[in-house]
Amino acid sequence: MNKRQAIAALSLAGFFLATYLTLYKLGYIGTLACGTGGCETVQLSKWGDFLGMPVAAWGALFYLAMCAAAICAEFQWVASPRLLSRAMTLMSGWGVIFSGWLTWLELARIHAICRYCVVSAVLVFVLFVLSVLELRTQREG
Amino acid sequence: MAKQTVKPSKSGSFVGILVVIAVVGIAAIAYLANGKASKAVTVDPNVPAGAAFGYIRGDSTAPVQIIEFGDFECPSCGQFATVTEPDIRSRLIATGQVALTFYDFPLDMHRNTWAASNSAACAADQGKFWEMHDRLFEGQNEWNTQATKDPVSVMKGYAKEIGLEMSKWQSCVDEAKHLDRIKGNRAEALRRNIQSTPTFIIGDKMVPGAITYDAFKAYVDSAAAAKAPVKAPAKAAAK
Repeated sequence: MNKRQAIAALSLAGFFLATYLTLYKLGYIGTLACGTGGCETVQLSKWGDFLGMPVAAWGALFYLAMCAAAICAEFQWVASPRLLSRAMTLMSGWGVIFSGWLTWLELARIHAICRYCVVSAVLVFVLFVLSVLELRTQREG
Repeated sequence: MAKQTVKPSKSGSFVGILVVIAVVGIAAIAYLANGKASKAVTVDPNVPAGAAFGYIRGDSTAPVQIIEFGDFECPSCGQFATVTEPDIRSRLIATGQVALTFYDFPLDMHRNTWAASNSAACAADQGKFWEMHDRLFEGQNEWNTQATKDPVSVMKGYAKEIGLEMSKWQSCVDEAKHLDRIKGNRAEALRRNIQSTPTFIIGDKMVPGAITYDAFKAYVDSAAAAKAPVKAPAKAAAK
């Protein structure tokens, strides 16, 4: 499996993770309740939304865009795969910053850790590393 | 730039991997959705009374007596109180079908919820528990842990809004006059093994989560049909 394929596969997995959290936040999965679980605390905090949309929904869109870009690059559906590699690096770089900020909020402000959010943060970091490596490969090629 | 081409066999296996991830992802969401659904468990409706002291709304002789364990800082409780509860009040409580008794269950994760329970208990002294209850849930984002370290100053504004005699309310809050009552209500929740808020006891069913009006009504109908009375813990004040 090459780097673009790995990016597409990991992004697709991340998309389902973020979709699950979005559906939970919107109340389509289960019934909202405040338990002692960290995910509920994080999701239901005031930082659970960003620009009028659940943060998880932004995550789902991010993963979908990453997956689409990686597939387009893999199958050469665009004239400039290098441009796509740059776009993936920029998107995932922004994702690392955003995930870092969210993780800081969980630790410093919300005082709860959502394990799904941690998995997502790790995924975003791996996607960033793979995107940088892919961009380097493109440049060397 | 050397154009990279994808060999058909590699392309096939790559698409296969994506399909497998998609299938597993959809199946996982479906499985988790099923497991997360709000499920009522059967409980003994005649649990012996504890030292709790709830706040009743409705007729204490109504055919169906409902207990709610709630946390003022819990967003789900806020959602239930602002979205679903108005319908319950107008369609079920005002018509004499049910009475709802609220018991505080302040959760550890919410730093300002004790102040809210205290404010509401002090409002109850002046017969305005439910007015403060509603105002607290409406303004939850103004005084919760993320919003402020001084929730009482926000609640003081609510106390003025609902027309409480401020000196009495303030001294009650400052003295934490009802701390034992709140602790008693919380202890009752723990004794009943309540795991989350809001949780309702309707007949012999313990129902967690901010359920919809229709779901709530279905449990009420079931309880009315079974005529299984719920023994409220100790006493409930109609304040």
